[in-house]
Amino acid sequence: MIKAKEIYLSYDENRFIIKKGNFQIKPREFVFIGGASGSGKSTLLKSFYGDITLKHGQLLIDNQDMSTPSNRTLREVRKNIGVIFQDYKLVKEWTIEENIMLPLKINGYSNDISKQQAIKLLSHVKLSHREGFYPSQLSGGEQQRVAVARALAHNPKIIIADEPTGNLDDSSADLVWNLLKNANEQLGITIVVVTHRVPRNFGIAFRQLSIEDGIIYEVC
Amino acid sequence: MKSVKTIFSFVIPLCVMLITFSMYIFTEEIIANYKNKISDDYAIVVITNTPLIKDDINSLAGIAVKKIVTLDKEEIIQKVKDSLSENSIFLLKQRLPFFYTLHLETFPTSSQLEIIRNELAKIPNINKIEIFSKDHNKIFSLLVLNQNIIIVFFVISLLFSIILFSKQIQIWFYEHQEKISIMQLHGASILYSASAVIKHALIAAFIAFLIISSLLFFIFENLTIIFPPELHSIIEIDTSLNIEFVYLFVLSMSISITTIIGVLFKYKIRKYG
Repeated sequence: MIKAKEIYLSYDENRFIIKKGNFQIKPREFVFIGGASGSGKSTLLKSFYGDITLKHGQLLIDNQDMSTPSNRTLREVRKNIGVIFQDYKLVKEWTIEENIMLPLKINGYSNDISKQQAIKLLSHVKLSHREGFYPSQLSGGEQQRVAVARALAHNPKIIIADEPTGNLDDSSADLVWNLLKNANEQLGITIVVVTHRVPRNFGIAFRQLSIEDGIIYEVC
Repeated sequence: MKSVKTIFSFVIPLCVMLITFSMYIFTEEIIANYKNKISDDYAIVVITNTPLIKDDINSLAGIAVKKIVTLDKEEIIQKVKDSLSENSIFLLKQRLPFFYTLHLETFPTSSQLEIIRNELAKIPNINKIEIFSKDHNKIFSLLVLNQNIIIVFFVISLLFSIILFSKQIQIWFYEHQEKISIMQLHGASILYSASAVIKHALIAAFIAFLIISSLLFFIFENLTIIFPPELHSIIEIDTSLNIEFVYLFVLSMSISITTIIGVLFKYKIRKYG
């Protein structure tokens, strides 16, 4: 599903943030990527959706080569994965349903089908009562649930999440973790989460990778 | 509300450009009609030793020769008949050259007149050419001058409207940067990300077309506003509004679309290098 071979990532030529990264994430796995602040966790995740390109090595995302992706490859990969960010990245001037509809519309679904799916997902993330609301009218936890719903909307094979609970209180964080666990267990979606704190008593099987001094380790 | 503001910021430069374009079309039409009108009254006189054949002069300075009229020698003889003997009249008839008037399809410009004179001078049997350059129509020259000024004005307004239009699209991109980047993170193409501004620009193009078309329609229905009745005998206004509407629509849409494509292309180059 995700295969990294000798990957090097950097923002400038002098310092590599990720060095000689080798790992593989199999379908249906739930993987946490941990490490200290500034260790390069988010940078590694960015390489998965092409926000940063590799300096060396090879990275395959669902068999698409993301080493030096063309615009077309980049769009294809992004269309087929779900992304969740710490700062939610919801479009402020759109209602929450419109935000959830975004990946569906990009994938060519009609307005009606996208709307039906968005309403279904709003119910799934327990936000039906907020239909027609704008992101600014919601709490942080609710906004992140909308972001989870958006990531699930087009039934992706992979969801990547960058500190999805970083800005949330414990109860809101639990709701988000439960949604991600359900997506993994019930829908078989591969989940890759960057977090500096892996939740306790997670309840499902998961793998953990850690980054230290640019080296990616498997945590046993 | 913001969308309405965006649309109207596109409409204004488009309207200015469409107005000058309409003025250009309008004066061109007036000049064409006026040219036809005065070309019927205008003729070049040539005197030859031998008869002139129409097939030898099909066009002059790129203007088609409509007809060649032979002037009757008898008229000239009639005028001097009383003071001449039979024998002198006979001799005069023998020696008198051939007189012709050349009628052109369209009225020539001053520079074309000079070319016509030179072209005619090259024909061996032509003795004398009178192009009546001093009588060359002053109103016509004024109209041509007017048209040239309008062309310059149109080109300037076209450039300004394209610049204003593209600046407005760039402002839109700047204002919606966050939204565009979120859409692109989900795999949207630039074209998809900019679909809102494309929609606004096309609506603006249509609104500008409607405004200027309505204005033109009003002017044509009330022509006396810009053309007092005394001008009607000089200038004939025979413009097909339907064709002009088509021109306006095509121009408005094409400027809008090409400017958007230009800005998107620039955005893509800047983003992806």
